[in-house]
Amino acid sequence: MGEVKLFFGPNHPGMHGNFSVHMYVEGDTVVRARPLPGFLHRGFEKLMERRLWYQNLALIPRICVPEPDINEVCYAMAIEKIAKIEVPERAQWIRMIVLELARIASHLMSFPGIGGSLGLYTGPFWGTADRDRVLDIFESLTGARVYHMYIVPGGVRKDLTPSIQKSIKETLDYIESRLPDYENLIFKNRIVHTRLKKIALLDRETALELGITGVGLRATGVPYDIRKVDPYLFYDKVEFEVPTATDGDAFSRVYLKFLEISQSIKIIRQALEKMPEGKVNVRISDGNALRYRVPKGQAYVHVESTRGEYGYYMVSDGGEKPYRVAVRGASYPQTFIGIEKYLPGTRIEDVPIWLSTMDVCAPEVDR
Amino acid sequence: MNKKSSLPEKDFFAPIKAWKFLFKKPVTIKVPYVKREASERYRGFHINDWDKCIGCGTCAKICPTDAIKMVEVEDLPQVYGEKPQRPVIDYGRCSFCAMCVDICTTGSLKMTREYVHISPDPEDFIFAPTEKGIHGVDNIPVGWTRDDDSELLELERVGMEMLEGEERVKSFMEYVKGYSKEQAIHEAARCVECAICTDRCPEHMRIPEYIKSIWKDDLNEGLNWLLKGDENNNMIGANPFSAVCGRVCTHRCEEACSIGNRGEAVAIRWLKRYIVDNVPSYEEIINFTPQKKDKKVAIVGSGPAGLSAAYFLATMGYEVEVFEALNKPGGVMRYGIPSYRLPDEALDKDISLIQALGVKIHVGVSVGKDISLQKLKEQFDAVFVSTGFTLGRSTNVPGTEHQDVIQALPLLREIRDFLRGGGPKPKIPKSLVVIGGGNVAMDVARSMARLQKMEYGTVDVKVTCLERSFEEMPADMEEIEEGTEEGVEFYPGWGPVRIMIDDDKVKGVELKKCLEVFDENNRFNPKFNEKEKLYLDADMVVEAIGQAPDYSYLPEEIKEQLEFARGRLVTNEFRQTSIKWLFAGGDIVHGPDIIHGVADGYWAARGIDDYLTKEEK
Amino acid sequence: MMSSMSEIVKNLKTLVKKLEIVEIDEREVKIEIPCEKTLNVLSFLKGNGYSHLSILTAVDWIEENKFEIVYVLFSWENGGKFVVSTKIDRKKAKFVSVMHLWPIARFYERELHEFFGIQFEGNDDMRPLFLENWDSLPPLRKDFDPLEYSKEKFPDREYIKDVIYEAKVIRGDLNG
Repeated sequence: MGEVKLFFGPNHPGMHGNFSVHMYVEGDTVVRARPLPGFLHRGFEKLMERRLWYQNLALIPRICVPEPDINEVCYAMAIEKIAKIEVPERAQWIRMIVLELARIASHLMSFPGIGGSLGLYTGPFWGTADRDRVLDIFESLTGARVYHMYIVPGGVRKDLTPSIQKSIKETLDYIESRLPDYENLIFKNRIVHTRLKKIALLDRETALELGITGVGLRATGVPYDIRKVDPYLFYDKVEFEVPTATDGDAFSRVYLKFLEISQSIKIIRQALEKMPEGKVNVRISDGNALRYRVPKGQAYVHVESTRGEYGYYMVSDGGEKPYRVAVRGASYPQTFIGIEKYLPGTRIEDVPIWLSTMDVCAPEVDR
Repeated sequence: MNKKSSLPEKDFFAPIKAWKFLFKKPVTIKVPYVKREASERYRGFHINDWDKCIGCGTCAKICPTDAIKMVEVEDLPQVYGEKPQRPVIDYGRCSFCAMCVDICTTGSLKMTREYVHISPDPEDFIFAPTEKGIHGVDNIPVGWTRDDDSELLELERVGMEMLEGEERVKSFMEYVKGYSKEQAIHEAARCVECAICTDRCPEHMRIPEYIKSIWKDDLNEGLNWLLKGDENNNMIGANPFSAVCGRVCTHRCEEACSIGNRGEAVAIRWLKRYIVDNVPSYEEIINFTPQKKDKKVAIVGSGPAGLSAAYFLATMGYEVEVFEALNKPGGVMRYGIPSYRLPDEALDKDISLIQALGVKIHVGVSVGKDISLQKLKEQFDAVFVSTGFTLGRSTNVPGTEHQDVIQALPLLREIRDFLRGGGPKPKIPKSLVVIGGGNVAMDVARSMARLQKMEYGTVDVKVTCLERSFEEMPADMEEIEEGTEEGVEFYPGWGPVRIMIDDDKVKGVELKKCLEVFDENNRFNPKFNEKEKLYLDADMVVEAIGQAPDYSYLPEEIKEQLEFARGRLVTNEFRQTSIKWLFAGGDIVHGPDIIHGVADGYWAARGIDDYLTKEEK
Repeated sequence: MMSSMSEIVKNLKTLVKKLEIVEIDEREVKIEIPCEKTLNVLSFLKGNGYSHLSILTAVDWIEENKFEIVYVLFSWENGGKFVVSTKIDRKKAKFVSVMHLWPIARFYERELHEFFGIQFEGNDDMRPLFLENWDSLPPLRKDFDPLEYSKEKFPDREYIKDVIYEAKVIRGDLNG
């Protein structure tokens, strides 16, 4: 049988986002694969250099749709690191709550979403509906459902009121009560097992060599989570576990996301408990937002996103705009080198599973 | 086989459990039959209170997506402190970040709790928000509003260091210390560059531009803005008396400042002073290379208007000579304003640049006495008169003819001459009453308080005026506050009946209660309660109820051709009188302060240039 | 700086004489090195636990006429970060590849070639990665003006509606 070139592109329902892969297949088996990004390249890094420090807040969340807050927090923490700004404690706790809520929201889209690739459509329906409850919280806390523009350099934009705290608690209880349903629906499902177990394997050495982070790495048995290894905000002041698995297959990656939701719930509950009263932001610079300046310097700041290490390298020349911001998309390694190295040998129907469980995420790769 | 054994054990009843979802309410809502209102902080569409909005355009500046444009609204009233424009928002660009709301200088912009706006027509996605929002409904639920946490302006002014009242009354030393570099840059960072101040300033100084220069720490550029204004546009906005105005300007700009709507106005005056105080000398930074013009202009009076006109004419290349009756140039800046507010050094700095441009200043030459106006006309191509208000007004109540009842202006002149070692010590009374509620009265009171403190160690100065409250008094509030701190006592709301004289010595003033200063037509027409009386002790009384022009130097035949209105000369916008070669400015045309004089000087210079150029043709 | 990191810095000082050290915070240190020592330093750090290449990027210092190449190395053991930076000539923008140390560097370098115009010796895959039919300066260079570029390439849309008139009607100032 001859080799056929197959364009697996952004319009394909099985494709994970606005991304494409050129596959050379023989029969049903991929022989070679070439990642082809660029559909979502909007030039964020260049745009950031051309906007004021504060104005960039409207831009940066748009790098990542399901979990925009990691951008805001990276941007804010990088500025605070360069300018050596002490952020009020309350703001740090609120940031953690937002980040973990975003993690839940993102996971709720991601792990039931695997049903989309498998034909188990109840999963994505449930996930989307439950994610909306988290978005309701975001709406009342930050004023927007998707792009929150809430975490600002120096703190957060508005306070977390008691009534929002109450609704967070209720929503957490609700999501927790739903978890057994999900477990039953997805992780005790024979089809899911058959389709995901021992599929898209990745071993520990390769994962580390390629620089793969997040669940892709933790599914190979190492508990590497930036929140634990290089704690930011107050992650060193809360108790939580980093779930790991040893199989390194698609199933364990999806299952780890499911397990992480419980940990996030645990973190948020502790944060709500420990959060002191007080101010929620400080000024990062003299004057009004049109004239903020950040002193000369540079910093690399990274956080644990749902897809792994997400980071900003920021350089300031002391001016009114960032001099350079480089974004480390969490899924950069698995998208490029992963696709090239790992798709060959897999069957066509397993390609979407690979892309989806490895969290290939076009917007953060393209930027 | 292996694979199969790893399959999960599932509850036998699991499939049945799924049936329970049949009886659950759907999680979706039936749009559009069910309306859902967004949360309290939702960033929906914009609403803008047009009555509150001042068109400052700060929203358009912060907008990260360039979605906001300021569009002129023709029939909005043209008032100071506002621009006749309103924001227009392009929802094709808007990112719903609400930065415009958080930075709004008045708080007129807010966002609603609406989710949806649908239209097949792209033209429906641009609109100028009003109180009724994009859908034109009354009482729309308001979503995102600015609060203290989301505030993007800095509302508090950087404090200015000043000597304490008790300390500063001991001498005539300048008590406002001026900003340090850090303070000035900090204060400059509060400006939003709306330029409403530029509109308000009589001279239209390029305020946002020079404040930005301070913020960039480029004082040479800042000084250029001060002294050259908009170089490509006839130097509009230039002010040769920046060191003077940086200290004693009436700062109308600060009253108009958009930050002042919710907070304290930017300290524009002190920022201006920061620039001039922190550059070594003007001549090193500012240079003019005017094309020499073969025309001469004479200027009568070396006050703000006269010297400004000289400055602008000199930069255009004219040969300028200034005639000043007193011994030093500067007029009111030299002889009126006390040195604790305006030290001679600051004035000299400004005047030295004007002299460096080649302007000749003849002091001690009184036009009308030493040289006639007609003679000037013959020797020069144009004449600019700015002789100011030099005569004092009197209440003319009984007793004012006494020698210890004196006029404010001569007294202030005497004090300044004495302090710079150029005259005898003025009579310092143990107890003084000042009649008048304006800034000149404050100057007299505070100067005398200092002299009393230096002479006797105690202050006994009383100020009385018709106006019934501090707010009503024409003096600046800070003058009143600072005077109080220095020990001056105020008795507002009283009108003089007579000066009490006993044994040919002034003993005090008899006053009656003033009920109303202005009548219903807002004309000066005070009403008194004759029965309510107040007696203030004094051994000297100073009248500071206003000044009047002295036109005695104008020959009768010229006077006849000129037009006067309420004692002031009538000119066209280029300060040209009805006699073509005669231009006029300053208090005798406009008043009441230095910056208006500078503006008169500027426009007169342009008018003279225009006149002389046309004449040539 | 954590003690384990200062230990490494001490060792690095014996390896490289001209070493600028900027302590950013307790767990982040920037080391600026001459470009010929880059591979030595990187492999030394990789061998000492800083084996995770978080990001490889560049900064355009146009006024200095330099490109700064930045490697962020992270240790999963202690959470320390070394920001290794070196400056190369902007006019002769050429540097060595590190893809033999980190396979993913191949793509980072491809990206830097596309966005800054920097060549990497040892990396033969310099095809464009994100942009298609790019016909201007490498876009992340400071002398590239994206606004000019898009004005040239894309048409502007003008609205024709009289928004102020409409607003007055909505306000009730005018009868529509």
